[in-house]
Order: sequence, then C-alpha cells, then structure tokens
Amino acid sequence: MNTIYIIFLIFLGGAVFTYFAGKIHKVLQDILFLVSILVPAYLFFANVEIGQNVNLTLGGISLSWGINYFSWLFSLIVLGLGSLAAIYAVGFMKGEKRRGYFYFNFILSIMAMTGILLSRDLVSFFVFWEIMTWSSYLITIYNGNKVQSIGIKYFVFSAIGAYAMLMAIVMVHHITGSFMIGDMIHAYPAMALSMQIWIPIMFLMAFGVKAAMMPLHVWAPGAYSNAPMAYTSVFSGALSKMGIYGMTLVLVTMVNHIPQGVWFREVLAWLGGITAVIGTLWAIQQDDAKKLLAYSSVAQLGYIITGIAIGTELAMLAGLFLAVMHALFKGTLFMVVGAIEKQTGTSNFTEVTGLIRKMPWTFLSALLAIIALAGIPPLGGFVGKWMLYESLITSNHYLLVIVIFFASTAAFLYCYKFLFGFFMGQEEKEWAHVKEAPAVMVLPMLIMALFMLVLGTFPGIILNPINHGLQALGYADSYKHLWDTSIILNSWGNKVVLQPILYSIAGIFLFFIAFLTWKGYKNTRFISTKDISSSGEVPKEDENLTFSVGFMQPFYRAVEPAMRRQIDKYYNAFADGLEATFEFLRRIYTGNGQTYAIYVIVFVVVMLLFKDFLF
Amino acid sequence: MEEVLYNVLGAIATFLVAFVVGMTYGGLNRKITARVQNRKGPPFYQNFIDTLKLASKKSAIHHGVMQHFGPAFLMVTSVMSLLIVPVLTHNQWFPNLNFHGDLIFLLYIMVFGPLGMALGAGQTGNPNSAIGITRGLSQMVGYEIPWVLALVALMIQYHTTSIVGLMAVQAQSGTWLMFSSPFAFIAAVMAMLGMFSYSPFDVVIAPAEIASGPASENGGKYLFTMMSSGSVFAFVKLTLYVDLFMGGADNIVILLVKTFALYMIPVLYSLTTVRYRTEQSIRWFWGWPSFFGLLAILQAVIF
Amino acid sequence: MINDKNSQKIVDIIQNWARKHSIWVLGYGTGCGSIEIPPTMTSRYDAERLGVRGAATPRQADVLLITGYLTTKTLKRVIRVYEQMQDPKYVIGFGSCTINGGMYYDSYNTIKVLDKYLPVDVYINGCMPRPEAVLSGFGQLQKRIAEGRADGAKQYKENLEWYRANQKKIIPNWVMPEYNW
Repeated sequence: MNTIYIIFLIFLGGAVFTYFAGKIHKVLQDILFLVSILVPAYLFFANVEIGQNVNLTLGGISLSWGINYFSWLFSLIVLGLGSLAAIYAVGFMKGEKRRGYFYFNFILSIMAMTGILLSRDLVSFFVFWEIMTWSSYLITIYNGNKVQSIGIKYFVFSAIGAYAMLMAIVMVHHITGSFMIGDMIHAYPAMALSMQIWIPIMFLMAFGVKAAMMPLHVWAPGAYSNAPMAYTSVFSGALSKMGIYGMTLVLVTMVNHIPQGVWFREVLAWLGGITAVIGTLWAIQQDDAKKLLAYSSVAQLGYIITGIAIGTELAMLAGLFLAVMHALFKGTLFMVVGAIEKQTGTSNFTEVTGLIRKMPWTFLSALLAIIALAGIPPLGGFVGKWMLYESLITSNHYLLVIVIFFASTAAFLYCYKFLFGFFMGQEEKEWAHVKEAPAVMVLPMLIMALFMLVLGTFPGIILNPINHGLQALGYADSYKHLWDTSIILNSWGNKVVLQPILYSIAGIFLFFIAFLTWKGYKNTRFISTKDISSSGEVPKEDENLTFSVGFMQPFYRAVEPAMRRQIDKYYNAFADGLEATFEFLRRIYTGNGQTYAIYVIVFVVVMLLFKDFLF
Repeated sequence: MEEVLYNVLGAIATFLVAFVVGMTYGGLNRKITARVQNRKGPPFYQNFIDTLKLASKKSAIHHGVMQHFGPAFLMVTSVMSLLIVPVLTHNQWFPNLNFHGDLIFLLYIMVFGPLGMALGAGQTGNPNSAIGITRGLSQMVGYEIPWVLALVALMIQYHTTSIVGLMAVQAQSGTWLMFSSPFAFIAAVMAMLGMFSYSPFDVVIAPAEIASGPASENGGKYLFTMMSSGSVFAFVKLTLYVDLFMGGADNIVILLVKTFALYMIPVLYSLTTVRYRTEQSIRWFWGWPSFFGLLAILQAVIF
Repeated sequence: MINDKNSQKIVDIIQNWARKHSIWVLGYGTGCGSIEIPPTMTSRYDAERLGVRGAATPRQADVLLITGYLTTKTLKRVIRVYEQMQDPKYVIGFGSCTINGGMYYDSYNTIKVLDKYLPVDVYINGCMPRPEAVLSGFGQLQKRIAEGRADGAKQYKENLEWYRANQKKIIPNWVMPEYNW
C-alpha cells in the first residue's frame, strides 16, 4: 500500500482511538495522540517522494493525491509545527477536561491540512478544506458556551468562503468537465473573460478568509484568542498558511496568465498592506496577550499577502520565507502565552508582571521570537522583512513600502508591550509561587527559537526549498542571483552578507557584556525590583508600581482618529440589515394557516381579475 | 586570519574616532547652549570628565540580567551601525563592514539597541523607565515615517539601496544629493531632529518629569556605557547624513566640518523650542516632514 | 600592574580629578533653601562651569544636597535616597538648619544635627546662604575630593551601627531594605 494511504489511515485511526483511549488511561491517550501525529509526520518526510502521485476512485469521482516541491514546503510548516505543537499540547492539556475532544480535532485538522497540500483534485481539496474548518471550529468552541458567538462568527465567515469556493468548483467543472486542478489551470487562459475574473475572485475569497485578509479578518482575533493555546499555535502558524498556499496557487498559476491579473495583484497587495496596518494598530491596544498576538497574526499575514501578491521573484521568496518565519515565531509566542496562562491562570498584562526570573526559559524563547517578529537582525525575521522591502522598492511600490514600514515600526510597540507585560516590571508577591513550565512545553519553544536563530544567519536552509517550490510553479532559479546560503541580494545587486554581521554582533555584545560584568564585579549588587529610586519612598510588599494600564497611551492618542472606524461595525450593520429583512419576511410567512389561506384567496382573486392581461 | 585582525583593528580605530568626536560634540553642545543662555558654560571636554567619573564609580546595582545586558545591547547598535556607515569616501582606513549591509539593514540594526535597552529598563521595575520607553517607541514611529520616505525617494531615484552606492552617485555627478533631491534632504533633516531627541522632542528622558526615563535606574558603569554609546551613535548619525546628502568626506577635517554644520541644526533648533507632548511630536512628524517626504518621492518618480 | 602601589596612586589622582570636575547634584529640596539652587545653576552664577550639574535620580548622582531644615518625616526619605546613591558619594549640608537646627532649634519635628544621621562632607553656613556661598561650598568639596579627604561614605559604612541607632531613634516605623555595601 502506498505511504500516502498509510499516513491518512494513521491519522484517521489515531483520531478515533485517541478519542476513546481516554476512557482507559490518560497516559495511553497522550501516547496515542503523539503517535498519531509524529508517526505520519516521520513517514511523510522519510518515505513520500516529491512528484509521487496516487489515484483512486470513490463514488464515481476520481481523486488524485500527490506532492510537488511547492506543497512540500508547506507540509514542512504543517507537519513540523504540528509535531512540536502536539508535544506541547501533551503538557498543556495535562489536567484539563475534554482531552479526547481536543486531541480528536487536533489530529483531524493536521490531517486535513496535509490532505489539502496533497490534493491534486478540487473535490478532495474541498472536502479536506471543510474538515479543516470543522475541526478548527470545534476546537475554537472548546471553552464552552461563552465563546459560542465567536465560534459562530468564525464559522459564518468560513462558510461564506467555502460556498464561494464551491461555486467556483462547480463553474470550473461546468467549463472543463473535470475536477483536476491541473485541468483547471490548463483550461483557464482560454476561458471567457467573466469566468477568468470570477473564478479567481471566488477562490481568493475562500483563501482570504483563512488567511485573515482585510475585510474578511474579523473572525480571527476572537477565534485565535479563544481556542486553547496549544492549538492556536497551529491555528495561526499553520492553518492560516493554507490560505496563503491557495492564494499563491491562484495568483501564480491562473491570474498571472491574463492581462487583467495585474489589478488582482495590486488590489491584493494593498489589502495586505492595509491589513498589516490595521492589525498592528489594534494589537497595540490590547491588554490581553492572546488578543494582542491574534491581531499581530492578522498583521503578519498582511505582510505575507503583500509579498505573494507583488509576485516578483524576490517578493515571492520574501512572502514564503515570512510564512515559514511566521509559523515559527507565532507558534512559539502562542505557546509562551499558553505556558504563562497554565502557570499563572491569566494572560492579562495588567495582572501578570515580573515573570522573567521565574520562567527564564520561556522568557528566552519569547525574546527570540519577538526579535524575529520585529524583524531585527540577526534573527530570521529580518531576512523576510528585508526581502519584502527590497522587492517593494525594486518593483516600484513606493507608497506601499511606506505603509508596510509604518506597520512594522509600530509593531515594535506591541512587541515591547508583550515582553514588558509578562516578564518585566515589578515582581509581585502574588506571583511568587510561579514555576517554570514543564519541560515538555518548554522544549518545543526552545527548538523553534533555535531554528529562528539559525535561519537568521543561514536563510539558505529554507530559501532552498522555497526556490524549488517556486521553480515548480514556473519561476526562474534564483540561487546565487537573489540568495545564497547566508547572503541575500536584491535585483539591483545590493546585498546583506549575514555571516560577518552575526559574528560582529556576537563579538561586540560579548565584549561589552564581559566589560560590564568584569568591571567592579565585587561591588556590583543585585537588588530587588522593590528597591527603586522612587522619590525616596519604599514600595510596600503589596504595592505594585508597574506601569501596565493604558500602556501605549501616547501613541494611541496620536492615531486615535484612524481607529474610530471598525470594520466590525459595518458587518454588524449589514447583519442588522439582514435581520430587518428577515423580520419583514417573517411578517409575510407568519406560519399561521389562516394567513396562508388569505394569500391563496388573494392570489386567486388577482388571477381572476387580471386574467385578460395575463393570459 | 590577518584580514580579520586588520578589520578588528580598523573597527577599534573607527570606534575611538567616533567616541572622541561624539564626546566633543556633546561638550560643544553644552557650551553652545550655555553661551546662548548668556552663561560661561562648562569646558568643551566636560563630557570626557563626566564619562571618566562615571567609569570610576566604585559600586553599581542592577535589577536583573536584562538590565545588566541593556547597555551592551545599546553598544551593539552603535558599533554595528558605525561599522556599516562609511566614515570616509576613499576608505582604506576604515573598511569595516561597509559592503556587507545596506540602508534597510541599517534602519533595522538601529532599533536593536534601543529595544534591548528598553527591556533592561523594563526590568528595573521603575515606572518612570517604562513611561519613558513607551514615549520613545511612540516617537520613533513618528520620525521613522519621514525618514523612510526620504530614503525610499533616494533609493528609487538612484536605483541602489546601499550607502556606498549613493555616495558613488554623488561622486559621479559631482552634485550633492541635498541639492539634487532637496525635498528628501528637508524631510530627512526634520526626522533627524527626532532622532537626536533634543528639545522639543526630549519627552523621552524629560529629567524633571520622569527622572530621565529609561536611564533612571542606571548609574556608574552602566551609565558610562550608555553615554559612550550615545556619543558614538551621534557621530554615526551625522556621518550617515553627510554620506547620504553631502557627498561624504575625503579626509577627517572635511568630515568634521560637515558633521559639525549638520549637528548645529538639532542643537540650535532645540534652543528655540520647548518640549512637545508625545502625540504632538508624532503628529508634527506626520505633518510637514512627511509632506516633504512625499514630495521627494514625487520628484523621484517624475524625474 | 594595577595593584602596584604607585600606579594605583596615579589612577587615584586621575579619578579624583574627574570626580572633582564632574559633580552631579541631587538637590533634595527639603526646606526653603532649595530656592537658592535655581540662581546657582542658571545664567547669573552658572555652576555648570565648575562641572556641577543636576542629576535626575539618586542612581546617577554624586552629591546629595540637603537644602535646609529636615523634618523627621523627610529624614527617612533622605536616608533612603542616600543609600541608593553609588559610591563614591558626598553630602552637602546647606544652611544653618543642617548644622544646629538654625531657627528651628527648638522645633519638635525637625532634626537638629544632620551629621548624626548622615555623614556630611561639607557644610554651607548661612540662613540663607547666597549662591556665592553655595559655589564656595562646592569649591570646598572639590578641594576635599582632590585631596581624597571626602570620605563620608566610608565613615558611614564603618560606623553604620551608630548611624542606624540614631536614625531609628527618630524614625519609629523602620521598613527599609538592608544597606550592605
């Protein structure tokens, strides 16, 4: 039997067995859960060859599953992050309720994402897409009734996207008579112009929902912040990348072939930029770490969308590299929040302070992830950001580059807020009992942090598969021309050589650390955070002087006019309008037999009166 | 191996030059301020004495490892950007890392230190530090906009993102970029006012209000490192402006003349104004400076 | 080489020279004397030409300036501020009130002799001392620093128990971090 079948069988069987194993023993459940994620991941990377294809016929429809370089790149995100998140989830779910429910849906959504990447036909693509939506929806409402409305918001938007996709699939089948993605791509350039425009729009709507693109992003903050954090790292890190995957396919294989495609790409790029700005501005304002990260995810996905929408080689490299980086750092950050929530019971900045000495390893991974998020060298985020800017400048998007730059400069504000809120500030008695999270939760974070560090200096490790993936989509080889193992170039030939930079930074840093430590070592004392120079007063034990309420107020006051308008309000107005329409319709369809009898009589009378005109 | 050694020695030489020049400029700033206020003022080498005194403080305190590392983060920014920015046009003396990074890299390495320092200041638990940092970061978002507008205008006009490339453009054409792209120069100089954070943009440290903000828990060797880093960084910023807009400098004397002339802009402007609130300064940067930045881009696109 | 006695002497001379010419003052405006600080610092008398300059927090300051009478309530804060300053540090008692209580010699809630609670390096006499007197006081301090005789902090450390006993006599609710350097 082919490995691809085995992978899906393990996923499906593992999901079911894990669900019921909880009745026998909890440890058995954990082990089964890990097995049913890690074993398929191992099998996938060890045994599935790129270019492999399997066909089968189910219910009269021929399905085709296979893998190319491009989907292999995304499977790296899905299965890599999925495995680490699974290990983390075992620690995170310890002692929680409804573990079977959580594990079941977790496995299913990893399976669905793998399925999406393997699908070579639209039917299985759609089916897996729906499984992914359902399983993520079910995890979103894991916390019970109070998050029901958030879950429904997510589901409504996903459903709109799914129906758009379904319509597109039906239209494609009507035109080509086949469900194969390859056939659709071949037939696309010869289609009528209206079809050429509508089919991509339908698909992009479906993918835009999952990628949290600007007008369709409103579900994301709620859903990301209310799912259990062990899943959110996958939700934001990998699941949103499915939208990016689909968008890239639509843009590159379809839209690029028609002259009107440039409008698609411009509009998408600007939507991405606006998404980045809006997400950032809202992230700065949040007091809840989960919400902050959720908005920040929206913003980061905006950069990625901009990158792939610009569509030059460098921009594609940038977008996809940022996608990988986003999976790494946002995965880590959600895990950090999960660990803190697990240890302290809250994820609110105004409540938790001064954890740095209690959770040093968590802090270290959060620090590295934040540096990567902010795009500061020498971590991997910088490489992606640099490529994005250079691609925007060299492709003459000079206003968009300002928009993106504004978003990523403002991102420093929430980056700092995140680190400060949890780890810095005064150490409080209330949190004196907090211990470092268990190793099974810390290890995945540290592993990802290490990856980010390595990718910052040797981005070639990831740029190589990205390059192969882009070649599979028809781009030219960009090795040595836009990137090398540790050099990044733009199309004007300007470059950043990363290795000497890393060594210089490390050298300077270590030198001055040595200087600061060695100089007057004996007379340097560590003092507690209560011993501060605050007007000669000694803060009492229960007195907390940390500045955390209304943290970025000065900035918020400056940008306030821009934040008065919320897209949510428009959706609500739209929903209210719909409700009013339904209310009106309900007055007609009252459900009362007599009313219907009157309708029938009126109808007959009208018929009789106007029969001369009508017939 | 020999090359590495040569580079390290060159870097140390550059650092010493930057340290001395930056410190002297700081002292001259104090002297000029005093003369404008009809005072005698401290000697121009007063800043050297101050740093020496801070270095010879016997004891020091820290609130944790991040505060201990904070000044080192700042130093990374100063020295790294010093290595990236070409000090002299024909650069046999200070080759450093000029060809290893470009303007975008410079923009990002410039925030590495302040953010690291901000973490250190956050760990002190002093509310004044955190307040100062929120102000500083907010103000940074303000002045980065005109600054980036100006830089992007230069980049798209001359099709290069490297500082060395922009200097070569000026050497070839014989005109300084401040004349061939005047709007970019105006926007960049207005952004420089914020970068130096002298009055009216000194809301970050505001000694009488939030007790010098981020530095309020640092003394002795920590303050010494921060002050040195600040001096070096001032030199780097001025040199960068000279390189970008005034054609660089052939020898150290010309460099000193040009940088000092530029340095007078923030110094003299600061003497005539009072402190802005944070949101006022942000809006100031998003007003006329950004308008000039947009004009610069327009000019770059049309011509 | 650093431990060699003569080179240590040279280093001391250089360091004391730097300390002498860079005096960062934390003006603790306890009493009416603080009104004399602005004229000392500004254009007319310009203390900055001597290297005297205001410091924002005790961590950065070298000199604690006690300007005038000190109430028992303020004493606790002043001690706190003094202990937060970094070595080497100096105290200047400003005005007659810090010497013997001055016009508050019989007040129930001011301390009379500052030297019993903090090691004063230089007293500036007068009620009020004029800015000229203040500058002369700084000059005196500079002279003592250059000679290496401004060792109030050292005395404080050596006689900590005596100082503590005096301080605790005045301050009933003593809740302060340990002073252990």
